[in-house]
Amino acid sequence: MLQVIVRRLVYGFLILNIMTVFLFLVIRLIPGDPVRVQLADAAVSQERIDELTAQLGLDKPLWEQLGSWYAGAVRGDFGMSFSTGRPVGSVIAERLTLTIELTILAVVVAVLLGIFVGVISAVRRNSLLDNVLRVGAVIGLSVPNFWLGLLMITFTSTVLQWVPPLSYRGLLEDPVQNLTQMLLPAVALGVALAASVARLSRSSMLEVLGSDFIRTHRAKGVSERAVMFRHGLRNSLIPVLTLIGIQIGGLLGGTVILEQIFALPGLGRTVFEAVNNRDYPLLQVCVLLYGAIFILVNLAVDVSYGWVNPRMRKAD
Amino acid sequence: MTDQAAVIDRIPADTGWSELRRFFKTQTVGAVSLTVILLFILVAVAAPLIAPYDPISQDRASFLTGPGGAHLLGTDDLGRDMLSRIMHGAQISLYVGTLTVVLSLVIGSIIGVGAGYIGGAVDATLQGIIDAVMSIPPLILALFVASLLGPSITNVIFALSVLTVPRFARMARGEMQRIKSEDFVNASVALGAGRIRVMVRHGLPNMLPSLIVISSLGYGQVIVAEAALSFLGIGTPPPEPSWGLMLSQGTTYFQTAPWLVVFPGIAISLAVLAFNLFGDALRDFLDPKLVR
Repeated sequence: MLQVIVRRLVYGFLILNIMTVFLFLVIRLIPGDPVRVQLADAAVSQERIDELTAQLGLDKPLWEQLGSWYAGAVRGDFGMSFSTGRPVGSVIAERLTLTIELTILAVVVAVLLGIFVGVISAVRRNSLLDNVLRVGAVIGLSVPNFWLGLLMITFTSTVLQWVPPLSYRGLLEDPVQNLTQMLLPAVALGVALAASVARLSRSSMLEVLGSDFIRTHRAKGVSERAVMFRHGLRNSLIPVLTLIGIQIGGLLGGTVILEQIFALPGLGRTVFEAVNNRDYPLLQVCVLLYGAIFILVNLAVDVSYGWVNPRMRKAD
Repeated sequence: MTDQAAVIDRIPADTGWSELRRFFKTQTVGAVSLTVILLFILVAVAAPLIAPYDPISQDRASFLTGPGGAHLLGTDDLGRDMLSRIMHGAQISLYVGTLTVVLSLVIGSIIGVGAGYIGGAVDATLQGIIDAVMSIPPLILALFVASLLGPSITNVIFALSVLTVPRFARMARGEMQRIKSEDFVNASVALGAGRIRVMVRHGLPNMLPSLIVISSLGYGQVIVAEAALSFLGIGTPPPEPSWGLMLSQGTTYFQTAPWLVVFPGIAISLAVLAFNLFGDALRDFLDPKLVR
């Protein structure tokens, strides 16, 4: 198991480096000089442009720029953000926790809701309830999360006359207000994953329930509840884990737009601001960080296979 | 040898029409979703003819009127007819979706087929790049590329292709590796078939079903991504009536005019739902092993 983790970590690190070079090249090779774009509206002299270009190191050869970026990165220095004039690292550090919290909440909502619906569907298969839930799951898969977020805000403000508090409070500062602010975006973000978890856990549960060892358990008199939960559910969790790993990318992408809609100052909001301000040093690190979260989540999924299924602990 | 080939040619193959009939018979949901897709295409193409109003011209006298009456789906803050805007919005979704999917299909399968056939270091390098690009959450990557290019419909297509090409390439690569080791390919190579022939005559036709399925599923994702980019103001520029752009304009008035937020969202969801269900049905139809 340890070997698997180490191998995955090494590969993840390699992927992250390819990503770094890829983003680096894309920024510099796509026409549109960051300095000129940044100064496009202001009437600035050629000397000032040259000065800024030199200051940002954009006049040096590509490999040298990449080299100096890496040299800084290993010391925790990711350069200066154009728009805020502060180090990229400190801008991001303030905002990362919100996005991680939002992602975790969304996954928790998705897994709880999805498995709950999936199990009900499987236990009551082909009933009216099952059919309604299955149609609901298909619709849940296709509804864009940002539209769902907008609908929620529209609904709570017009029908319930309630708007989430506007000024953001951290989880440790004010847990109650924090969670009331995070609830709606987390649900909007989690619905699509919940829908696919529901579909998958229904079918894998049905498959497990039809297998020989379940019949044996029933024959030896294990209660139906224990069959469902201890044996059926547990064995149908593995594909659900895989699904989380696959879908986490879509979920992370959704944070950009939902943080915008719900006025949450997270990493997604930072990406949006960096895009609008053409703040490439900041944008590059944000994108990398999203990639790193994606890779880490998938690593965690791989590791947790061993936890759910003891057989996999022994496998290489 | 040539005689045999001639005989094989004369065996009546499944024609397109009989396949279509079989699809409609066996895949009810698929048939319904295909109908919705055709309707979506029809509305998009015929929008200039069937839309009751001009989607861009403003009518200050009747701004923010609710659904019903002269404006079936109401008007926006500038008095533009929502129904007409949604119809023209379908045009943008169709345009962006089709071009992105076709572009990624072509580029992705060339890269994938090549990598899958050649194997070795070329394949390993490419696999690393594909893994790296696919580890960036799709919307973030699209935002990144779109922001470098600036807002325009062409740039949206380019940005979305950057995220779909690796998906097509990965699929084509896996299929090519599978096909390469099949007996009929070995036989063909033994008879003197060259690399290009193996890739084009054996590889592509045999992976076509899988490529069609991911095209349909990808189409839905591209529509959502275009809407998301436009919603954030980095996609289709105003005053074009893109569905995502309409949603973002509606956010200002969601309390007084909820229809501005509701109808474009329904349009997006319906289109995506149709492409997703069609893709699923197509997968069941083309891969009988999956049908229980």
